[in-house]
Amino acid sequence: MKEIEVALIGNPNVGKSLIFNNLTGGRAHVGNWPGKTVEKKEGRCIHKGVMMRIIDLPGVYSLTAASIDELIARNYIVEERPDVVVDIVDASNLERNLYLTLQLLELEANLVVALNKSDIAEGLRYEIDVKGLSELLGVPVVPTIATVKVGMEELKDAIVEASKRGVKARVRYREDIEELIEGIGDILRRDEGLIKKYPIRWLAIKIIEGDEEVMRLIEERGLMGELREVIG
Amino acid sequence: MSVREVLGEEPEVAMAEERYRVIGEILSRVFRGARPLTLSDLLDKAFLNRGLGIPIFLTLWWALFRFTFDVSAPLSDLIDVFFSRLGEFASSIIGNEWWSAFVSDAICGGLGGVLVFIPPIFFLFLGLALLEDSGYLARAAFVVDKILRPFGLQGRAFIPLLLGFGCNIPGVMATRTIPSERDRILTICVNPLITCSARLPVYVLIAGAVLGAYASMGVFTMYLLSIVLALLMALIFKALIPYFRGRRAPFILELPDYARPTLRSTLTHMYERGILFLKKAGTIIFLGIIVVWLLSSHPWGAPLDQSYIATLGRWLEPLFRPLGFDWRGAVALFFGFIAKEIVVGTFAVFFGLGEEAEIEEVQRSIVELGVFTPLTGFAFMAFTLIYIPCLATIGIIYRETNSVKWTLFTVIYGLILAYLIALLIVVIGGLMGLG
Repeated sequence: MKEIEVALIGNPNVGKSLIFNNLTGGRAHVGNWPGKTVEKKEGRCIHKGVMMRIIDLPGVYSLTAASIDELIARNYIVEERPDVVVDIVDASNLERNLYLTLQLLELEANLVVALNKSDIAEGLRYEIDVKGLSELLGVPVVPTIATVKVGMEELKDAIVEASKRGVKARVRYREDIEELIEGIGDILRRDEGLIKKYPIRWLAIKIIEGDEEVMRLIEERGLMGELREVIG
Repeated sequence: MSVREVLGEEPEVAMAEERYRVIGEILSRVFRGARPLTLSDLLDKAFLNRGLGIPIFLTLWWALFRFTFDVSAPLSDLIDVFFSRLGEFASSIIGNEWWSAFVSDAICGGLGGVLVFIPPIFFLFLGLALLEDSGYLARAAFVVDKILRPFGLQGRAFIPLLLGFGCNIPGVMATRTIPSERDRILTICVNPLITCSARLPVYVLIAGAVLGAYASMGVFTMYLLSIVLALLMALIFKALIPYFRGRRAPFILELPDYARPTLRSTLTHMYERGILFLKKAGTIIFLGIIVVWLLSSHPWGAPLDQSYIATLGRWLEPLFRPLGFDWRGAVALFFGFIAKEIVVGTFAVFFGLGEEAEIEEVQRSIVELGVFTPLTGFAFMAFTLIYIPCLATIGIIYRETNSVKWTLFTVIYGLILAYLIALLIVVIGGLMGLG
């Protein structure tokens, strides 16, 4: 049977655990992330002849190097390159939740967005154009209501579908920022080792932001000298 | 074209703004119907309001401290009484004189000395857990950022500093939430200047003894001095030490939705921090009190001024003479290095009253024996406030900075600053004729 790795991610309190339970039937292997005291949950789900290994990442608002949770989540996505990353988004608080979504797109994760609590949004008397959102982000968006298991089959379909395709989504920023990213990317691409291991666009954005972990990596690879001029 | 030219001094903030701009654009195209204001939005309008934010914050902070001290005071008294009775009882049934004194003064006194701090510490952490779980603490950090920024500290430094008023140990540990290494170490370095709850009994003792009608004013001044010094030293370190200079880390904080705190997570938060204090601090304070007792009651049977501790005190005395402290003050400060709680206990032991003496008796002895004048007493309080917090805090500073250099730096600047400020108080007070 074909086996794929699926990571679940989302802000705290979006219903991520519920979706994990719905997908895996509640059977989970619970351990710790290597060397950390943060809990790691893993489960399985078979859908349309595909075995999904589902990993529950810590609930986070963003993917900086600021906290252990955020580092675990982003290192997992960078290093393990899961086949599909399911980003669970709270439909009643889209603005804040999409901040994480954009960072996942920067990471070039193969994203499926689960628009959870889609019933609450209706209760607040506004509608979200799901198809439009999917087009703007360039990734599939599936409305779900985890509490009553609505949208779970559609979510599994979307995961299997996404695992067959590659990543194609890309959010573009302001033109001058894109030029900066391109400039830094050109320098980074000279290092073969980096290209193999990391999404270059993401590294460039993190360098712009002065991310501590990535700066350390750049220092180790001896690229600091060349980059100093661009960083300013 | 460089990052600085495109995005300015704080590229991380500029990138966050750019992401939110893109999100705004996306949302404007996918939303049908206006999003009404939620309760969270309404609360934020008040709590984050330019004019109201800080008064609301100060009110809640004040309420938290009243809650902590008022609720815990009777419980602390109960624990105090329990251990002094236990000591009396133990000494009455033990025949051997040495063992009887050891069990009642050292063991029971020591345990009582540690355990009286449990109620205030746990109630403080309970209050903080409530504020944290409700989502307010993140707002408080946001509001306070404006105040802290000019001093080179960022909003996240506020929670560690706030916790420091309870105990510097969880205060130093809470700096883990500060992402920038530079900001984190700076916050750790000034944290010991925040007057922890263990220093309060010293202020109360000395101020009550020698400041008369100005006692509570004196105690309040210590809290004020604590805040002023912490901010001032942060500013000075930032300006003078090259390591702290350079690009200011931007302050980006996700504000979680307001939520009703759950009993379980609130209690867990309180328990985790409280137990940490108990384990780290408790054992050391307990051992410290036993050591003080051993040194002050040996050679066995000798009067106090011929004990080992008196010898040590006389040896230290010249150092403290410019500040007007005698050998007793010197010894109290010396052992206060283990934990500030011991300062009060040491004075109690000195006047032959035992660890469990009533505070009034100790105060009377301080006045009668002329240990402090109002001026040197006040200087002693300031010295207690500023110098090295306690052994356990030093241990935690080392663990969190993972650097001998920063640990030593914190210890040494604390000692020098304490000496300077105490000297300043004595000299200026003397010139004003307050001696």
